Amino acid sequence: MMLGGTPGPTNPNSFWLRSKGMWLTYGAAVLGLHFVLLSFPFLSVAWAWTCTNIIHNTTVFVLLHFIKGTPWELGDQGKAHFLTHWEQIDNGEQFTKTRKFLTVVPIILFFLTSFYTKNDSFHFTINFASLLLVLLPKLPQFHKVRLFGINRY
Amino acid sequence: MDTTWELYEMFQAFLKAPSYHLALEAFLMVWVLWLIFHKSYKPERLELTEKEKEELIAEWKPEPLVPDSSKNHYALKPRVVSGALGKKITVNGTECLNMGTHNYLGLIDSPEIKEAAVKGLRKYGVGSCGPRGFYGTVDVHLDLEAQLAEFMGVEEAILYSYGFSCMPSAIPAYAKRGDVIFCDEGVSFPIQKGLSASRSQIVFFKHNNVEDLERLLLEQDDLDKKNPKKAKVTRRFLVIEGLYMNYGDVCPLIELLELKKRFKVRLFIDESCSFGVLGKNGRGVTEHFNIPVEDVDLISACLDYAIGSYGGFCCGSSYVVDHQRLSGLGYCFSASLPPLQSIVASVAIDVLKSKPELVEKLQKNARFAHKELQRLTKLLVCGDEVSPVKHLRLAADRAEAQQLLEQIVDHMQEEGVALTVARYIDEEEHLVPPPSIRLIVSAILDEEEISSVVSLLEKNSDTLL
Repeated sequence: MMLGGTPGPTNPNSFWLRSKGMWLTYGAAVLGLHFVLLSFPFLSVAWAWTCTNIIHNTTVFVLLHFIKGTPWELGDQGKAHFLTHWEQIDNGEQFTKTRKFLTVVPIILFFLTSFYTKNDSFHFTINFASLLLVLLPKLPQFHKVRLFGINRY
Repeated sequence: MDTTWELYEMFQAFLKAPSYHLALEAFLMVWVLWLIFHKSYKPERLELTEKEKEELIAEWKPEPLVPDSSKNHYALKPRVVSGALGKKITVNGTECLNMGTHNYLGLIDSPEIKEAAVKGLRKYGVGSCGPRGFYGTVDVHLDLEAQLAEFMGVEEAILYSYGFSCMPSAIPAYAKRGDVIFCDEGVSFPIQKGLSASRSQIVFFKHNNVEDLERLLLEQDDLDKKNPKKAKVTRRFLVIEGLYMNYGDVCPLIELLELKKRFKVRLFIDESCSFGVLGKNGRGVTEHFNIPVEDVDLISACLDYAIGSYGGFCCGSSYVVDHQRLSGLGYCFSASLPPLQSIVASVAIDVLKSKPELVEKLQKNARFAHKELQRLTKLLVCGDEVSPVKHLRLAADRAEAQQLLEQIVDHMQEEGVALTVARYIDEEEHLVPPPSIRLIVSAILDEEEISSVVSLLEKNSDTLL
């Protein structure tokens, strides 16, 4: 919400995703998470990867596809109050660079996880389910769609 | 060695992977490639070429600074007032009895207020040089807030630097998009601005009409029952004025409070005209109806009128009021009230506390004026008898009435009484009230003066109409 004549983005909430070094930071954060999980002696490599994948996808789901408006002060976001963070990115334009990046990351992570879990069917089921959770809401067809009225208001 | 072995093992596993897995990975791979090679939309701003800029500039036709207006427009004949707006004012060089400004208690010209202002000026200078949260808080602001809270009998008060910005900041601090505000049709301009700034759904009910409000609340209740999920996150507000500036009548607070409790709406009252005016001690409309002040969620008032300073304040429970210290735009982003004005308001509140007879005198004058004004046969007095704001209306069509009322005001001014026609920004008002002369009764007038003004009005209206 920018008032009278102020130059700036109409919705500054998701502007930071486009800023320089964002992709690198994102990758580093995921890698950092993975290293932390690897350092637990009781987790095998396969489980460390599955946990990385699940934690990443859950975080992405909550932050990008569940919380509407902003994570704090939900009320004062004007029109954006009813949109998830994903829907606010680049003012709702589809197939922008940021959106592509955020779509590709969980897929790559899924490839890596499948590889390191030796395509085990149990790990596959968990990881694939979590992948669907973050990929489906990213499809343009699901833009502003609330399935079964969940999280509608 | 170990790692290579594991990687080799994994590669072997990949080769032995089930076919559904490989198919899925292939599909995802194709998707990734498609995304990478699909033309992406660039949200960057469009850069104009020099030629396009030239064209745009050549195309642009500026609007006139002053739009065409009729020769009779009041702004073309300004009335120049010199000196303080006390009991007597000098308009265009002639001294008149002032019945046009909202100096209800006559505090503007009183010596103790003047003395306090000069003292404040000597100590603090003129401005506060910053918003409250940014080096603009001076001890007198905190004193005044505490004093206002104590006077109104509430937990906390918050001070705004401009009376007009008080309600337009307070309403959008609470009501957001998706909320519903029930509002009286006759509310004054600042409240209307607050309503539109909130971006909530606005439901206007007929002026002071409790049945209409009840009907609208029942409608909302039906909607809520149909969609309880939505109702759960929708806040409902009721915004009214204590004493309506544009109509001069008091709100039916007791009935409104019943509705508030029945339908669980949050009640905001703007007491700009009723603060220092209604009630035994001037505590406003809650005292007038003998209602505990806690029943109202938020009370706001302007310090420009009865108090004779500037600024405004909101008061209520700390839980409610404190929210505005970060969410009230007029509080956060506007330089705080000049300390000297804060001192003036403090002294005025002290006067109000020590001399409740001033409020009594005002109410007596208002009642007397109301009775006297009934003598006018051509003009209709609107409003409650206790209200110091009297609207004199004329039964004629809008343009004609406006013109006749302006003429009456001009004649009255020649004969030494300064009155004013109520002015509105017609295009911006939700509902422009019918044209009227807004006559303000103050506590410093005596009955003879009021009677003589009414006689003059009677004479002028009879000759003109």
